[in-house]
Amino acid sequence: MNTVTIIGSFSGEGECARAVRAVRTARIDDFHTFSPFPSHKIAAAIELPKSPSRWVALVGGIAGILTGLAVTIGTTYEWRLNAGGKPLVSWPPFIVITFELMILLGGISGFLAFLFMSGVPAFESASGYNSHFGEDRFGLVVRCTKEDADGVESMLKTAGAEEVVRGV
Amino acid sequence: MAAAPKEVIQPDFRAIDRGVLRAMEPAGRAYWIWVASCFTLVAIAAGFWLRQIYEGLGVTGLRQPVNWAVYITNFVFWVGIAHSGTLISAILFLFRTRWRTAVYRAAETMTIFAVATAGLFPLIHLGRVWFFYWLLPYPNERSLQPDFRSPLVWDAFAVSTYLTVSSLFWTMGLIPDVANAREAATGWRKKFYTIVAMGWQGTDRQWRHFSMVYLLMAGLATPLVISVHSVVSWDFAMAQLPGWHSTIFAPYFVAGAIFSGVAMVITLLVPMRKLLKLEELLTPWHFDNLAKVILLTSLIVSYSYATETFMTWYAGDPIEQMTFQMRYFGPWGWMFWMMVLCNCLIPLLLFSPRIRVNLRALWVISIFVNIGMWLERFVIIAGSLKVNTIPSQWGPYVPSITEIMITVGSFAWFLGLFSLFAKFMPIVSMTEMKEGIVWLRAALKRGYSTGA
Amino acid sequence: MASNADAQAQPAGTTLMAAGAVMAAIGAISFAIALWSGDAQIAWEAYLVNLLYFLGIAQGGVVASAAFYLTQAKWGGSTPYRLAEAFAPFLWIGFILFFGLYFGRAGIFPWVLHPIAQKAAWLNTPFLFARDGIGLGLMALTSFAFIRVSRSEEARTWAVAGEEIDLPPHAIRFWAPIVAVLYAIIYSLIAFDLVMSLAPVWRSSLFGWFFFAGAFWSAVVAMALTAVVLRGRLGKENVFTNPVFMHDLGKMVFAFSVFWVYLLFAQYIVIWYGDIPVETFFIVQRVHHMPWSPLSIACVLLIFVVPFTVLMSVRAKQTPAVLGGVAMFGLIGMWLERYVLVVPSLSRDALPLGLTQLLITVGFLGAFIVCAVPGINLTARAALSGEAIGGGE
Repeated sequence: MNTVTIIGSFSGEGECARAVRAVRTARIDDFHTFSPFPSHKIAAAIELPKSPSRWVALVGGIAGILTGLAVTIGTTYEWRLNAGGKPLVSWPPFIVITFELMILLGGISGFLAFLFMSGVPAFESASGYNSHFGEDRFGLVVRCTKEDADGVESMLKTAGAEEVVRGV
Repeated sequence: MAAAPKEVIQPDFRAIDRGVLRAMEPAGRAYWIWVASCFTLVAIAAGFWLRQIYEGLGVTGLRQPVNWAVYITNFVFWVGIAHSGTLISAILFLFRTRWRTAVYRAAETMTIFAVATAGLFPLIHLGRVWFFYWLLPYPNERSLQPDFRSPLVWDAFAVSTYLTVSSLFWTMGLIPDVANAREAATGWRKKFYTIVAMGWQGTDRQWRHFSMVYLLMAGLATPLVISVHSVVSWDFAMAQLPGWHSTIFAPYFVAGAIFSGVAMVITLLVPMRKLLKLEELLTPWHFDNLAKVILLTSLIVSYSYATETFMTWYAGDPIEQMTFQMRYFGPWGWMFWMMVLCNCLIPLLLFSPRIRVNLRALWVISIFVNIGMWLERFVIIAGSLKVNTIPSQWGPYVPSITEIMITVGSFAWFLGLFSLFAKFMPIVSMTEMKEGIVWLRAALKRGYSTGA
Repeated sequence: MASNADAQAQPAGTTLMAAGAVMAAIGAISFAIALWSGDAQIAWEAYLVNLLYFLGIAQGGVVASAAFYLTQAKWGGSTPYRLAEAFAPFLWIGFILFFGLYFGRAGIFPWVLHPIAQKAAWLNTPFLFARDGIGLGLMALTSFAFIRVSRSEEARTWAVAGEEIDLPPHAIRFWAPIVAVLYAIIYSLIAFDLVMSLAPVWRSSLFGWFFFAGAFWSAVVAMALTAVVLRGRLGKENVFTNPVFMHDLGKMVFAFSVFWVYLLFAQYIVIWYGDIPVETFFIVQRVHHMPWSPLSIACVLLIFVVPFTVLMSVRAKQTPAVLGGVAMFGLIGMWLERYVLVVPSLSRDALPLGLTQLLITVGFLGAFIVCAVPGINLTARAALSGEAIGGGE
């Protein structure tokens, strides 16, 4: 294979973001980053669109509303209890149940979407991971062709990488 | 008032990690004695509960008319404690509050264990515990269904939803931190953290989805928190009983919940900070802000007491006025005045900036608030039942040894679980502290006073 | 050049003040005509509704400024503070007009002509006017003491200082909590005395909180509308063009609208469930009987449904036209809410909503505008001063 993996280690999110921008300008898109916390700067440099997990949560929330209405209205017609003369389908209490179920199913589906979309639980390590990327270093791992490798390495060094390692 | 600025070492990311991970090092004997004592008390309480299941609720002091007392008080108390955790972790996240990061993990953990404790009490109160599933709608031959028009059923849904969503939110926040702990750990701990961290490595893809869902969960948890304690308050407000039937209950209980919960956060955090050597991460600035939340909610609670008193007088309903007169001057009047002292008067000390950063004073005040808020629930719940609308029904109530031991056991259960977590899992969020390190540095630079 | 900049810095110039004065005059004249031609009842109803509404906006604004200081809000330099305080001068007008209610008390307070023995110690003319008058006076005094401190050099420096954790100046830390605490107490009192006592048999312990939370929201919405209008009129570089500013205002409109509907629901469900006639009649009349039912529904639509659905997305909050539109609807909705709370207690079945009410409302609006103009100019100057906006994220 003609590909090479280059790992750059940065001490600040600004430097890492600069490196990302440089790599993207060079039309190299096969890369990923590591950071100890979610960095707005790096995310802005990568220009990822907003996560679609919010749509999953929305669907879950709507499912919760429908479930809430179905359960409350359905059960009250099945067991027609006269509770203090209140109408069988009384909206104030049913709103409470519906609201809770909306939050429950919205939250669960959002969480599941997070797990699924992030690839968590992950059984394979992403290439180039080093434990200090979880502590205090930002990492940029680029896969490129052997010809581009030198250029990429210099891009990372210019952006301020503390350490640049080439692997296979 | 600033003394010569002492040389403060500005923390970096590694310092944050060190501080938090050091707290997770293997514990000494004193710790294990403490944990063992907690769970011994839990075992004793469990024994009393088993006896209650075997012999029935007669072993408690519950009779007519006071058929809701210590157990329900504990239920409301623990659900209330839980709420401040979500306030700090979710609501203050939406407000982009700076001081939240150091305390939110501990507060959120407190939430989880407090809800777990609270959830036991409806079961304990059930007597025939094995019939708990009647609260859920399931198909059966007699077409019986739960009555969704009952506030007790709303409670079941609200508290279960709260436990579930809070656990998911808490777990999400933990994953990156546990991944960090995984790297530094060895032996069986490393295996444990590796499983819990689920292979998290902090790639951009993972953070992208994490950030979105974390924001979503915070946005969902906020209305959830307010709705849950409103629903709990409606267990009482839906009744026509004087002292219970009052429109102010929902926001009043929510404010009271945050009040008692933040007090419990302080009760836990002040000793924890010392014992786990987290002084560089949990600064007086953080406690100053927690104290301000206590002060604000104390004022809201005082407002609610005053409004209820006024409204009772204004309405002129003789039965309701009798209930409140008994509340203030009856046989249980001492509880009411203790409650006013603990909830309304003592927190006024927090208007002083010096007291707010005096951690010992703050801790003592927090204990008073916890006592006061427990008494408040008891005064409302049992006090109103004791002097209900028919004087011939009035009767005594004295908690039995079963109720007392189960109450003590619930505190031991909560403290034991929290202590276990604090030693084995990251009790301060390393991830968010790093994200907001500039605030931590500013707080440390300001020294140990809160400014002019 | 200079005159252009001047014109930009004085967007609410003398023309607006003149227009406001004319509107106020029209209102006063229609009020007088109504009194003389035998329509005194509807005249006083309109007077009370508008007094409560505009006082709420004016006072709510001051409380918002205090709240911004107490939460150390630095999302717009000193502009949010000036914007919130802009409506304050109406507090004195409101204070004076409150005593005007004395002359219409027979038509407004049912317990004046038909005293209720049990409540006479509380619901009697001298005591009510004394306590509410002193309350409103105290509120105006503390509000202006606070505003004076808020406009000081020290406070302005703090507001522009960017992202730091330092507390606001000491004087602010003294007055802001006083303003906030007094607001809760005195506006609850106003709610109990001037709205709840119109149906003296009814009570709701949450009513005071509900009333002052609604007043606060009306102030936030007025601030949003003013910000949107100023944004357009001030030309290029001003704080209002920063999308983060609009976003934060939009979030406040959204959040407090939800809070209002929560307090409404909390009262509704307790009263509905208890089904106690002395409590239910108040709601039944407003929600289930004509002619009030459509108005109540309109209130919920304008105050909750519209802001909630429209302002959910980030982009909607940052679009001035959208935020301004929602704010406009919200202001109308809040006026209707005050109307629905007050009028059905006094005119049981008829719907007095005609020319007289409109003109009296115009009158109050004119007085309000005259009072707000100097504050709005101050806001514009702050917005144009080019100071750094704290924490642009």
